[in-house]
Amino acid sequence: MTTTAAPGTCAATDIGIKGEERTDIAEQSSTDVLSAADIPWNLVVWNDPVNLMSYVSYVFQSYFGYSEAKSNKLMLEVHRKGRSIVAYGGKEQVEQHAVAMHGYGLWATVEKASSSGDGRGRKGGARG
Amino acid sequence: MAGDARVAHVAKAFKYGLKGITGYLEPAERELLRGLLDDVISMLEPELSQNEDPLTALIGLDMNVKEPSDRALLRLLPNVMKNDDAASLEFRQLTERSLREGKIGALRAAAMGLDRNELVLTPEEAKLWSMALNDVRLVLAERLDIRDEADADHVHAMQDWSQAEDVESYLALVYNFTTWLQESLVQAMMASIDRKS
Repeated sequence: MTTTAAPGTCAATDIGIKGEERTDIAEQSSTDVLSAADIPWNLVVWNDPVNLMSYVSYVFQSYFGYSEAKSNKLMLEVHRKGRSIVAYGGKEQVEQHAVAMHGYGLWATVEKASSSGDGRGRKGGARG
Repeated sequence: MAGDARVAHVAKAFKYGLKGITGYLEPAERELLRGLLDDVISMLEPELSQNEDPLTALIGLDMNVKEPSDRALLRLLPNVMKNDDAASLEFRQLTERSLREGKIGALRAAAMGLDRNELVLTPEEAKLWSMALNDVRLVLAERLDIRDEADADHVHAMQDWSQAEDVESYLALVYNFTTWLQESLVQAMMASIDRKS
């Protein structure tokens, strides 16, 4: 359960997430429907003084399948900057991630990729 | 976020070995944990409304749900959007019930494992334990008014059980115990992931 991905597969996981997104968009454009799902949304995890650093990193590894290095980097960004964009995608997808984070007890919110101060998005730029 | 918590307890830290993830708790510690888990379960159990539509309940909708007024409960069931209360409430109507049920499930699973001193956890049980301990700590932290890292450090400095002279110092010691236990569990879970990959 906790070994959803071996370390070093984060690139593949990222592609997987993008792949899902592209499928969604492809399905929509095939029916000529443009919807809010085309706008990328960010999943933001916020710092709090309670959650253990080790646990936050474990959640990123376990739930997203991110590598240990990537999970630690995101965890430290949450810790030092107060927040980090840990995933992005269509609205429903990031909302689903947010509920999962709440299940783990992490403080997570969703926001439109362009709506925040650092709204460039962690990987949003890659979608150009 | 909180860092490593080092403190001596009668309980043994969780570790990963041949039998999987194991731990050891004294009867008094198990009683303490059971009480904490039960407290959080009763906070999360939804109030049954008299005239609830059974169909909406069945599919997990809750149109009567409101943003929790209790800070600890709000921390367990946070708003999904930072600056949009209406959208957060709408989302809450769709998701809060199943979120509560998931959390209660993890807390019950941990409580059920407390029937003996020796704990041997499967990977799935370990995950549920770590989630349950986290929710217990979030509630304790609200009761202790831990708002920032300085508050956390202040509480963390309370390590001597002979100093437990009031409710707050007792809660601080309990919080530090659950922190220590969760940290050791997460370390054991990480070790089990490293070993398998």
